[in-house]
Amino acid sequence: MPIVAIAYFLFLFAPVLLLALGSFGESWSNTLLPTGFTWRWYEEVASDPSFRRAFVTSLQIVGLTCVLNVLVGLPLAYAIQVGAKGGVRLATRLVTLLPVAVPDLVLAFGFILVFSSDQLPWLGSFWLLAAGHLVLTLPYTVTALVADMEQLRLDEYEHAAATLGAPFLARIRDIVFPLLGPSLVSSMLTVAALSIGEFQLSNLIAGFLSRPYPVVLLQAFYGATGFACAATIVLLVLAAIASLASSLTSRLSNNKKAAAA
Amino acid sequence: MTLKYENVSFTYPGATTGIFDISLEIDKGELLAIIGASGSGKSTILKLLAGFVSPDHGRIVIDGKDVSALSPESRRLGVVFQNYALFPHMRLWENVAYPLKVRGVARSERHARAVEMLDRVGMKSRADDLPAALSGGQQQRVALARALVFEPQGLLLDEPLSALDASLRVEMRDEILRVQRASGIATLLVTHDQEEALSIADKIAVMRDGRLIQIGTPRELYETPANAYVAGFVGQSNLWQGKVRSDGMVDTEIGAFACDTQGHSSGDAVTVFVRPERVLPAAAGGEGQDAGGDRPASHFSGAVDADRYLGPIRRIDLKVPGGLIRLETHLRDAVTSVRVPADAIRLLPAHRSQTGVFP
Amino acid sequence: MSVRASRKALAAFALPGCITLGLFFLLPVGTVMTGALTDGGAFVRLVNDPVFWNGLKGTLILGTAAPLFSLVVGFCIALTLNRLAPKAKTAALIAISLPLTFSGLIVAYGFILLVGRAGFVTLLLAELGFDPAVVGGFIFSPFGLGLAYSYYLVPRVVLIVLPAIGNFDRNQLIAARSLGAGAGRAMIDVMLPQIAPSLVAAFCLTSAVAVGAYGTALALVGTQVNILPLVLYSKISETGTDLPAASAASLVLIAICVLIISLGEAVGRKGSTSRARG
Repeated sequence: MPIVAIAYFLFLFAPVLLLALGSFGESWSNTLLPTGFTWRWYEEVASDPSFRRAFVTSLQIVGLTCVLNVLVGLPLAYAIQVGAKGGVRLATRLVTLLPVAVPDLVLAFGFILVFSSDQLPWLGSFWLLAAGHLVLTLPYTVTALVADMEQLRLDEYEHAAATLGAPFLARIRDIVFPLLGPSLVSSMLTVAALSIGEFQLSNLIAGFLSRPYPVVLLQAFYGATGFACAATIVLLVLAAIASLASSLTSRLSNNKKAAAA
Repeated sequence: MTLKYENVSFTYPGATTGIFDISLEIDKGELLAIIGASGSGKSTILKLLAGFVSPDHGRIVIDGKDVSALSPESRRLGVVFQNYALFPHMRLWENVAYPLKVRGVARSERHARAVEMLDRVGMKSRADDLPAALSGGQQQRVALARALVFEPQGLLLDEPLSALDASLRVEMRDEILRVQRASGIATLLVTHDQEEALSIADKIAVMRDGRLIQIGTPRELYETPANAYVAGFVGQSNLWQGKVRSDGMVDTEIGAFACDTQGHSSGDAVTVFVRPERVLPAAAGGEGQDAGGDRPASHFSGAVDADRYLGPIRRIDLKVPGGLIRLETHLRDAVTSVRVPADAIRLLPAHRSQTGVFP
Repeated sequence: MSVRASRKALAAFALPGCITLGLFFLLPVGTVMTGALTDGGAFVRLVNDPVFWNGLKGTLILGTAAPLFSLVVGFCIALTLNRLAPKAKTAALIAISLPLTFSGLIVAYGFILLVGRAGFVTLLLAELGFDPAVVGGFIFSPFGLGLAYSYYLVPRVVLIVLPAIGNFDRNQLIAARSLGAGAGRAMIDVMLPQIAPSLVAAFCLTSAVAVGAYGTALALVGTQVNILPLVLYSKISETGTDLPAASAASLVLIAICVLIISLGEAVGRKGSTSRARG
């Protein structure tokens, strides 16, 4: 078993390592590894106008997706966890399963059909792209937050606060937000990581001027190896930072939960 | 300020469990304990008073006012939860000051009052700690302080000692009683531990299957249980099925008992109830003096089935023809023969074997 | 009913989420479905298209091989992780979870560098006398795609199976061996039956993801490999295409995924670890 695990970790890091090497390599064609060292590829990515625009678009989409997830996902998760009964639970389970049951590609096709109509002519707009990212990440947010509310025993603390005289809004302000804060941050970082790498939906519904980074990145694969590597590494680093930050915040809040129990 | 249940019924939606036609009253300064097995409805009683559920029928009255429709935050009742539910993100003084905060008390004043309250439960020195740094007993004290700091109309304790080590329980029991007496507040204690209830309650209510089956002082409950269930639930007991033979005599499967049969006529089925410590060892074959009034004691002989040494006493099961007699004695001698004074015997309504005394 | 919030407040809380899911999920998916069902000839045209059958075949191979391979690898890794000290386990889990949020594109280009026609491994094997054309061609087959997919399927397997292994009482294995069963025998007789539900759940989830994904495949090979999502992708992205037929193909894709997911749900999964797809 350990041999498989070691082999897997090699398998896990080899592509990342090659991408990193390639992004600094002067040239790489038909050799085992690239030759020379250069910053040139990163400079080229940074000065490429379509990459610059896509980078900014992606950051805007990620930011908006996170904000919308908080505004839409947090109340929904709370409503589900508080109102949890047999039927509601089943509905929740369905919501979390639907995105796996309906491939992104089919959803994108549906977007094309619905939002190119005269009634809803939104296809290609920045806002529709954000809505798409919201729909893709919402099930994750709801599942993660509901699980954390259960684990935190939020209901017990709210009941205690009620007996101490705190009305609904005071409970939300003094109990729900402070207790749920770390898991909210952690979930939003994961949402950011997912949103920044999202390709399958964006590729089909993004307008030419609001293409996010991954969609533009695909074009780079047909060009110089070094440039493609550098452009990929940029995306990888962003996703990795968000993902690691998410893991760390969730670990911190878990430790707190363990200490409080 | 009294807490009162008037003919309260409640069943959980989609279930048949709940409580049925409960009437109870807790006076100012009184500590009423509700005991019962799990599922007996005792927690529901607390939830109804705290306002977590509303009665289907009947009223909950606090200080003469019907609060049945009020939300928990409007009832002004201090609740100590089983797991204490101290807010993990607030310091101890902030926890205790929270009810004052939501009532708009200024920060400096609520700090002062919280610290004073913490002082009363011996936790003043930890005022700036977070709950996670505390032991179970310490959290219990803080939870008590938090429940009392806003001078509530009643105090509700939900299995307050169940999460503590046995050694700490007695200490915390006394602490709760001390604080409760000092604040003179009407208190409802829900517990499954009959010893806990006997030791601190002014009155005890016994619940079974959602119904109140007896309410009385600890002494009344122990000495004059209403039926075999209460007798078996509170303390140890001997329970034998029997039939009244004639005035002053009851036949059971282990033999005849001489006792007061007033209120029963001959032929009535009854349960003979005797506390184990009221069964007295007698010298083998001897005619011990009967101190039990004008009736003679009932005598039984047999062989020891089990002899448990518990330090101050021994708990003995004596196998006699037809059954078993449980007794407790501080004597160290061998026991083969016992007598049961007539005034140690109570006759309870007949029951089908529910307490496990008979197979 | 609940003390925590009134019914009205809860309904208001749930409203934005319901609108979002209704407008941006149910409406588009419903439109695709009605598009396929209202044109009676759509399915006939699809069934008569050999490209569709080739794609279906490729998808079924990919949807079986990739999750199976990921399941075996993921199970071994979960077993190994389970024996690690808590800190090492946490660190390893964080590393393993990273690919979950990686774009399929990163994986695609990484694999081109690793095992593409001029990839690191391909050239390394060429030194040993293997034909680079054959080795480099592997990644463009459904099995090769499956290998690339396993990069982000294995973490999903580990996250689902690890809790089940962690909850399994290892004393049972010791007990079985004290009763005379060999190590392998004890594992098959005692451990496997108990963690089987999580294995099935992991297989079904990863299979559905493998069937539905197209990003990695598109980046690796364009639309040249015969899998259903790429067939559908070229239908959608070409102008003047047969949209009802595309809807019909979408419906087939959904049907396969729903079937697999329902199977997983029926077997019953413990501990949900469903993250969104990468």
